[in-house]
Amino acid sequence: MAGLSYAGVRKDYGEIQALRGLDLEVADGEFLALVGPSGSGKSTALRLAAGLEEVTAGTVHIGSRDVTRLTPAARNVSMVFQSYALFPHLTVSENIGFGLRARGVRRQDAARAVEEAARLTGCDALLDRKPHELSGGERQRVALARALARHPDVYLLDEPLSNLDAQLRVDTRAELKRLHRSLGTTMVYVTHDQVEALTLGTRVAVIDGGVLQQVGSPEEIYARPANRFVARFVGSPSMNLLPATLEGDALRAGPFRFEPSALGIAARRLEIGVRAEHLEVARDGDGVPATVEVVETAGSETLVYVLASDTSLVARVSPELDLEVGALVRLSVASRNLYAFDAETGATLAGLRR
Amino acid sequence: MRDRDTRQLTLMLAPYLLGIGVLIALPAAVTFALALTEYDLIRSPRFVGLGNFRELWDDEVFRISLRNSLMFIAFAVPLRLLGALALALLLHRRFRGVGASRTAAYLPSVVPDVAYALLWLWIFNPLYGPLNLLLDALGGPTPRWMTDPRAAQWAIIVMSLFVIGEGFLVALATRQSLPAELYEIAALESARPWYVFGRVTLPLMAPTLLLLLFRDTIFSFQATFVPALIVTEGGPPPYATTYLPVFAYQNAFEYLRYGYAAAATLVMFAVTALIVYVQYRIVRRWRHAFVV
Repeated sequence: MAGLSYAGVRKDYGEIQALRGLDLEVADGEFLALVGPSGSGKSTALRLAAGLEEVTAGTVHIGSRDVTRLTPAARNVSMVFQSYALFPHLTVSENIGFGLRARGVRRQDAARAVEEAARLTGCDALLDRKPHELSGGERQRVALARALARHPDVYLLDEPLSNLDAQLRVDTRAELKRLHRSLGTTMVYVTHDQVEALTLGTRVAVIDGGVLQQVGSPEEIYARPANRFVARFVGSPSMNLLPATLEGDALRAGPFRFEPSALGIAARRLEIGVRAEHLEVARDGDGVPATVEVVETAGSETLVYVLASDTSLVARVSPELDLEVGALVRLSVASRNLYAFDAETGATLAGLRR
Repeated sequence: MRDRDTRQLTLMLAPYLLGIGVLIALPAAVTFALALTEYDLIRSPRFVGLGNFRELWDDEVFRISLRNSLMFIAFAVPLRLLGALALALLLHRRFRGVGASRTAAYLPSVVPDVAYALLWLWIFNPLYGPLNLLLDALGGPTPRWMTDPRAAQWAIIVMSLFVIGEGFLVALATRQSLPAELYEIAALESARPWYVFGRVTLPLMAPTLLLLLFRDTIFSFQATFVPALIVTEGGPPPYATTYLPVFAYQNAFEYLRYGYAAAATLVMFAVTALIVYVQYRIVRRWRHAFVV
């Protein structure tokens, strides 16, 4: 068991810079979710840790070992791919035991480890089957069992749930979390799904354009995003963004007016962010008038897309409000629930960071 | 199916059906018929029933050429398959000059048979041919390729080992279609190259390799024809490189015994079918080991 750390890791593919100096510490036993849009460099980071790609610059440590120049085999890590990468011609038990047999572990010992791993992942009933006889969820378990069988220092999971259907993904997510708790081994989990990242990770690292944007607990990432990208990327629906200008004594952000002093920021080019759940929607009152354009019902909550003087906004409201398309509503937002970003750099302005 | 569809289908298939009919079905039927006759192009064919086959049975030269053909297949087919596989595994990765290397591997297959054979005639020349000069320089044996029966048979096999372009391409495409992630898993699980080859690559390529095996077996019966005709002229005595196609050719075009040659061709066809069938039966036994 060991942690994983990147120090100044860069990876170039010709002209393309996939990672631009990654510094990231994954503590021993931690479940780190590495999340970002496609092409952000998250999978590259994982593959560099596995040794499947070579770093252009920087070092990778597993525990106290510098593994930067080591072969994948020498790093003692296990990987689970999105495609599962099961050997189609081998049975489930041969798949799980592949690494053990390749390392020359004796047949009986390997068989015992295979059974143990299969039991932990709940695929002990599948051992004699071939991958093509399994469902997607079962294949995913087998891939996980194969990673487990060898007791690696670090598990590297590359979008392992992305090929599962929605219900199964939620179930497997919970199981994976349980598994991590019982194993206590370091796991790095790459995903493009921010919900998955927030629910699974003990810490979440957000990456974009080959640059680490923020690392923190799921709560921190959500409540105190370091910049506009993180604020928009994390949370569903995306945070509302309003270009803001200073007009006399008032800060004008889309249809809203605020006292700049209430925000504690100096006047400059900035953008104001409002999360959907912070946008209050009422049938009447003295808020900003708006028209309901789209209503999305999702059981316990309703998403309402409204138009307020040319600005489109989304709000999360209680289903009891029972709004219909075309209804006139009033919008308001408490200034303590605002986020402010530098319009140029996207950085969260210190005055508003909570 | 509607009439219009049928008409359209027939029209589209017509060129192909015409080709099969005129170039394959008709000659095959003629060969069948001819095998039961005696025919020398001058007198009209005379029906002799199974006489030609009875004669083949007793013909020493036919027996030798059948044996030669079978021996050729026994050595050339596995070696050719191995060569194609080895080249494919060697050249499937990207590296500097891989394109040129792949072209070089395929190139001999592009050379016309006759030109290829003439080239080897020079290479095999025992006095000034580059092969023996090289073997001599390395201190190896310098066989008299054209006059020693064993050496001549090997010469024909060696010639066939360089025209494996199609097999190479098919094997290459198959290897490249195997998911890279399987090999990444193997690398992470510290599987050694031979283990990966035996446990991953070979079983996953097996269906294609078997297809190549069948195809090459069929092809190899005929592959001996041009080299044996040009390089070794069916010799050296006694009939060391007289293979079935050469036997049929000589009987037809040199001795003008078309009926007899047709009968020999039919036997060749039957033997090919038999071998492929036996291979198929053997393969079926252990197909569960790799069929995905």
